[in-house]
Amino acid sequence: MLTTALILLPVAGALVVAVLPLPRETTAGLALLVALMEVGLWIVAAARFDFDDGGLQLGTSREWVESLGISYSVGFYGFSLWLTGAAVIASAAAIGYAVWVGRDRPRAYHALMLLLTGAIVATFASQDLLLFYVSFEAMLIPLYVLVGVWGGARRQAATLTFVVYTMAGSLLMLASVVAFGVTQGTFSLVDSGTSDNVWVFLGFAIAFAIKAPLFPFHGWLPLAYREAPVEVAAVLSAIVSKTAIYGFLRIGLPKFPEPADDLSGVILVLAAAGLVYGSLLAFRAPDLRGVIAYSSMAQMGLITLGVFAFDDLGLDGAVLQSVAHGLVSASMFLLVGMVEHRCGTGELASLGGMARGRPLLATVVMVAGMIALAVPGSATFAGEFLIMAGVYGQGWGYSVVVALGIVLAAMYTLRIISAILHVKPGPAVRDEALDLRTGELALILPMILALLVLSAWPALISQSSFAGEELSGWTAYPPPPEETR
Amino acid sequence: MTVGGAWICLLSPLAGALAITLAGQRISRRTAGWISTLTTFLAFGGALVAFFGLWAADPSDREHVSTAYTWLAAGDFEVGFQIQLDTLSSTMMLIVSGVGGLIVWYSMGYMAGDDEERRYFAYMSLFVFSMLMLVEAGNFLLLLVGWGLVGLASYLLIGFWHHRPEAVAAAKKAFVMNAIGDATFALACVLLIWETGTLEFTGVFEDVGSLSSTTVNLVALGLLGGAIAKSAQVPLHTWLPDAMEGPTPVSALIHAATMVTAGVYLLVRASPIFEAAVEVQHLAAILGAVTLLVAGVVALVQWDIKRVIAYSTMSQIGYMFVAAGIGAYGYAIFHLMTHAFFKALLFMSAGLVIHHLGGEQDIRRMGGLKDVMPRTHIAFLVGALSLVGIPIFAGFWSKDGIVSSALAQGGGLGWTLFVTCLSGAFLTGAYTFRMYFTVFRGEPSDLAREHAHAGHGEGPLSMLVPVGILTVLATIGGLVVIPGVWEPFIHWIDETAESLVAPTVAQDYGTSAIAVTLGLVGAGLAHRAFRERRQLVSQSGLWRVLEHKFYFDELYDALFYRPAVSLSQALRRNVEEPVIERSLDEIGSGTIQVGGEVARVQSGLLRTYALAIAFAVCVLVVVFVAVR
Amino acid sequence: MDGPGVGWYLIVAAILFGTGALGVMLRRSPLIVLLSLEIMLNAANLTLIAFARQHGDLAGQIFALAVMAVAAAEVAIGLGLIVAMARRRLVLDVDQASALRG
Repeated sequence: MLTTALILLPVAGALVVAVLPLPRETTAGLALLVALMEVGLWIVAAARFDFDDGGLQLGTSREWVESLGISYSVGFYGFSLWLTGAAVIASAAAIGYAVWVGRDRPRAYHALMLLLTGAIVATFASQDLLLFYVSFEAMLIPLYVLVGVWGGARRQAATLTFVVYTMAGSLLMLASVVAFGVTQGTFSLVDSGTSDNVWVFLGFAIAFAIKAPLFPFHGWLPLAYREAPVEVAAVLSAIVSKTAIYGFLRIGLPKFPEPADDLSGVILVLAAAGLVYGSLLAFRAPDLRGVIAYSSMAQMGLITLGVFAFDDLGLDGAVLQSVAHGLVSASMFLLVGMVEHRCGTGELASLGGMARGRPLLATVVMVAGMIALAVPGSATFAGEFLIMAGVYGQGWGYSVVVALGIVLAAMYTLRIISAILHVKPGPAVRDEALDLRTGELALILPMILALLVLSAWPALISQSSFAGEELSGWTAYPPPPEETR
Repeated sequence: MTVGGAWICLLSPLAGALAITLAGQRISRRTAGWISTLTTFLAFGGALVAFFGLWAADPSDREHVSTAYTWLAAGDFEVGFQIQLDTLSSTMMLIVSGVGGLIVWYSMGYMAGDDEERRYFAYMSLFVFSMLMLVEAGNFLLLLVGWGLVGLASYLLIGFWHHRPEAVAAAKKAFVMNAIGDATFALACVLLIWETGTLEFTGVFEDVGSLSSTTVNLVALGLLGGAIAKSAQVPLHTWLPDAMEGPTPVSALIHAATMVTAGVYLLVRASPIFEAAVEVQHLAAILGAVTLLVAGVVALVQWDIKRVIAYSTMSQIGYMFVAAGIGAYGYAIFHLMTHAFFKALLFMSAGLVIHHLGGEQDIRRMGGLKDVMPRTHIAFLVGALSLVGIPIFAGFWSKDGIVSSALAQGGGLGWTLFVTCLSGAFLTGAYTFRMYFTVFRGEPSDLAREHAHAGHGEGPLSMLVPVGILTVLATIGGLVVIPGVWEPFIHWIDETAESLVAPTVAQDYGTSAIAVTLGLVGAGLAHRAFRERRQLVSQSGLWRVLEHKFYFDELYDALFYRPAVSLSQALRRNVEEPVIERSLDEIGSGTIQVGGEVARVQSGLLRTYALAIAFAVCVLVVVFVAVR
Repeated sequence: MDGPGVGWYLIVAAILFGTGALGVMLRRSPLIVLLSLEIMLNAANLTLIAFARQHGDLAGQIFALAVMAVAAAEVAIGLGLIVAMARRRLVLDVDQASALRG
């Protein structure tokens, strides 16, 4: 029931916000309240969840279309609950940001944001392939409108590329969903067995690769991240991208153990290439959003490396890194929004010197930036380290690439930190540009605090993501050390 | 109780950093300074408790591992938030928190009046915490965490005056070079996980014997990569001189006394691994020897007082690497300790000079300060004598121990290192006294005269007292090892890391005689050059090479930075824009064209549609019938 | 129970369907086109009922009822459209209403 409530609350909230003819402020406040209630619900869910036991919990299952084996079946595993947690927190912050800047047509805007949240939670919770597909696609509708209506100057091109790319992936996935469901006789992820059909797996894999995005399926990314309203970009990079990781973890690996293993070489190489490629492009991107967009792509490559490491270290690391990156990238995007709001531009060349006289902004940017570049001791470092250790089993070269990624991440993140904060004020930085206001701090700080808690105790997530795992089909899961040396 | 002291030592600076950060504008700058100073001294108290607890314990009971909780876990792999307290770590704790406390205290005077003092003290406390984490860590991952956090603190403090482009650039350079070291360190940890299943020191060291030699060599290389990056050894040394852009107490604490010596600590801490990979251990010694020469020579031509001391730091750490590389762990840590005393002292008295002269760092504009700043002069002179290794001063005992250990090592390597170390002693004498004479002797410069009448003494008490304490330490701090008489320090370290070489008493005193003579000759040369008003290095070609620090910066720029930039620009121009972004446009326009063609079929005439449907039905009927 | 065989019903249905289809294709008045559509639907209904009776299965009859309901709805919308066209004084000729041309 709790899971259903988690899915329905934002959807119902969206309807109420859209229908009730309330004044602007009330509408915005109502949307924020719903988003916060969602976070509260998630906390209740996490409190009820038995992390030691693992397995599918808080589940609900109802027949939907019996003759086709389609059911409304939802529930959480450890890892999906954590991903959901990052999702509800990040989207609450995003909605809060939208409230703070006062977006036009608030009823439509907030309804769409809440709908997006509901779709994302449903994606993480669904235990039925068709439900997963529907929720996965339902994310697209609000995103399409949000980018297309409220986006920047080139929003139409951005929406078009985004929709064309994701639709292409979706259709492949739909074909795979149908093929899998028909051969299995059920669409339930819990009841169905495994498949060894490479083509069906490929359909899923490409859809996820586009959503993530992985190299070279990232054509939609730079435009979408640059043109979307900044909080939508935050949700895109922080959470929507993670639904692809969830897809790999819940469908790609357990349902297609053999094809996943057969194709892991290709995927690992693409992920590693994406990590380096994204980092290099982030290193020279001329604007804040470009840097974060490409760095987000690099991070997705990294997380995919962890997933296809096929061992405890890599998988736990991938979940930890997904959550940590979700929080940090949402923080970074919102910070970018706050900087752009003050300066009217995100061009690195026009910024600078904002640290002087703005201690809060400087501190928050510095902390978020340091976590983003995975300084040792941070949650992101813990995640990267686990992935680096896990993927070693697939080949030492991948670990070296991850190590290279750490150095490159230091280079591009320091570049934007300095571009915002240091040296002389740039032409776009006026003296009147204020420090962070209390409202803005209230949006960012919860995420930063969550990250600091995770930095002090990353085992909280990495230990409990796959505890007592019963998902069929994880391949190699042995502890790394070999007894016979 | 003993272990509790170690925990207090670790956590109290963290509490200080948090308190200052959270209090923000609500506390005065002075309060922030006191919070930072007192928490650091509290850490020193904890370290003392831990140290004497160990001291009183039976030698067999001097290793404690204490785990607070599981920091990171995945599957069967677990890493605890754990500390290891043994003779080595307790010594390091004393050095870090003791010298750290003095320098933070000194900062209160040095930084007084700066806009952002609170931020400064928060960073300093963060640094002390990180450094203590580094030395107390009970496993490699936590060591790496401390390792990275000191890098972070160093970045923050080098770039503390963030409006200066040079400071920001230097901070970034330091961070990136250290990130390279972090990355190789992390790779070594990954190898250890797969080969031994644990990262705890005790577990790893037990298993070292059963590892293949390739593995051990790779692990050792990875650790060495981290060590040379952090300790600014060739070839990852170029960040340290630039790091002098930070405030002077920062240079004293981070870039002289503690952080940069972390590499030496790592070499000693992981000695079982390095002993199993002898070639790599010797490589460390060779890199140390190269660094001590390169840095010593470059120091001869620098004009910035802090840069001279920075090169001297690199050179002295080179000595420590030599010692750790040939297995003279006791002397490596001993020199680490005395170096912390006298180098912090040198930096802090240089800081007094800079403070006095209103921020001037160029030694050409100083001169004749002996009479204006008599107490500073004495402190600096003690530091210089200790650095050069003049008997009874602290540096004498430790540096000569290293040189004689190289002699005791013997063989081609031992002799090479021996000769290099002796040449280093000569260079040390030359560059140290070149600096000393230029700054303190001779006629007062215009700048010195101008500030002499300003009438503000040598500095506030909070600066002078720590300098005084360090002066004492730099004088008598080396008396814990007198070869042949008593060597408690060496035995103390031996309990954790058993030294591989032990020089005989004859070797010790013989070496000392030569090294001291060479140091004095160097100092004498510097004096003659000073009197005759000419440079130590007169040949212009050599001068240019040295002034460009052997062109390392230019080389790295051409080898790494520029290629990275052009590679990413090439990717943008040749892959991202034409292939990834353009392809979608192509698909789009193609679709529009096809759509335009197909649209013609749609006439809008209802009857045509009906006809088409009827026709299609007929065709279907025929098909069905035919298929039957 | 005897009576005409199912074949006869089918023949009648086919004739009805053909009439309707010709009406849709040949006439221009939207009113007649709608009428012809209804004839086609009823031809289908007739077949459904005929087969239902032959197989003794009520499903066909029920389906015919569903078709009638749909047909009624369709007529309502169709007539509504025609009235709307008439109100706007448009010519009641399906060939003239070709705004959907691609």
